[in-house]
Amino acid sequence: MPPENLEPELALLARLKRGDEAAFVALYRRHKDAVYRLALLYAGSAHAAADVTQEAFVFFMTKPGHYDPGRGTLAAWLCGVARNLARKQFAGREDATDPSELADDSAPLEEHIEYQTPLEKLLRDEAAEEVRQALARLAPHYRDVLILCELSELSYAEAAQVCGIDIGTVRSRLSRARAQLAQRLGAKARHAGGEGSKEAVS
Amino acid sequence: MNTVIPSESRDPLLDLKLDAARRGLAREVAPDHLEASLARHFRALRTRAPRPRFWWMPPLALAATLALVSWMVRGPAMPSHEGITVETTPADAGPFLALKPLERIALEPGTRLVSTQFPRALLADWGLPVAPERAGEPVRAEMLYSADGEPLAVRLVN
Repeated sequence: MPPENLEPELALLARLKRGDEAAFVALYRRHKDAVYRLALLYAGSAHAAADVTQEAFVFFMTKPGHYDPGRGTLAAWLCGVARNLARKQFAGREDATDPSELADDSAPLEEHIEYQTPLEKLLRDEAAEEVRQALARLAPHYRDVLILCELSELSYAEAAQVCGIDIGTVRSRLSRARAQLAQRLGAKARHAGGEGSKEAVS
Repeated sequence: MNTVIPSESRDPLLDLKLDAARRGLAREVAPDHLEASLARHFRALRTRAPRPRFWWMPPLALAATLALVSWMVRGPAMPSHEGITVETTPADAGPFLALKPLERIALEPGTRLVSTQFPRALLADWGLPVAPERAGEPVRAEMLYSADGEPLAVRLVN
């Protein structure tokens, strides 16, 4: 995919800084859904995601100078703002485990498991529900890269920008996160298969 | 996008399920009411008179001017101030108020300090507050004049 031409967006940003409402609305329309979807994944409900989205764009309109085009795309920066707001807002539900303290193949502690996530409401089919359940049982730093790279489809560089880590770490975490997710999904499928055959025998 | 996932990490079952999750997520869009709410917020933010970025400069410049002019007139005599003639320096005099740009006053040769008296109403011409009931009263002051007789600075003497 060719690199996106950032000139129009930077022109809108310059107009926004001069107080142009139309420029703000244009930028909002470009990024609102991506920010909202990411907020949904972190926040827990459509209502909370709307709040986080609104707060993220209020922050943007109030302090547009905080975005540095030299450090990444506006899309990734806005996603980072929304992620931080959501994590702050739902700090009670999100654990604060230092990823370095977790072994890659460690079983998640009980307090790391999220039983209620926004995916529960937004993913309605069975396969998606399985992903939701498996994702909720991953350690937060693995869940982070899966949400950003797989579900929000940010590039590795953008995910690195959002999480404040380097691209190599994103790659390694994503690889391990995919493996853990696959393992959990496979285990669930085997478990379901076993129950099915028991039912068939009885 | 991210298309360089190592082949050993590829898992057809996982990819299928992640695709399903992406499809579910793609149906979600930001609520319509957010745009109007944010636009209102934006307008409110813009109509609120923002404090100028360098709001502190005028008061700082005024204070610096007063301090420098006061130092020039009241400080110890130095060769560069030879031209200033101090005719009187009352102990209860206030700071000087520059009537001309500081740079010009500093470069003015042969300045003179003269005690004088004028109607208080004249202070209003220099932007100083004057109570209407006292406008007719005389006020004592010291004026710093250029060699040409142009007033450069003034200070009130109680």
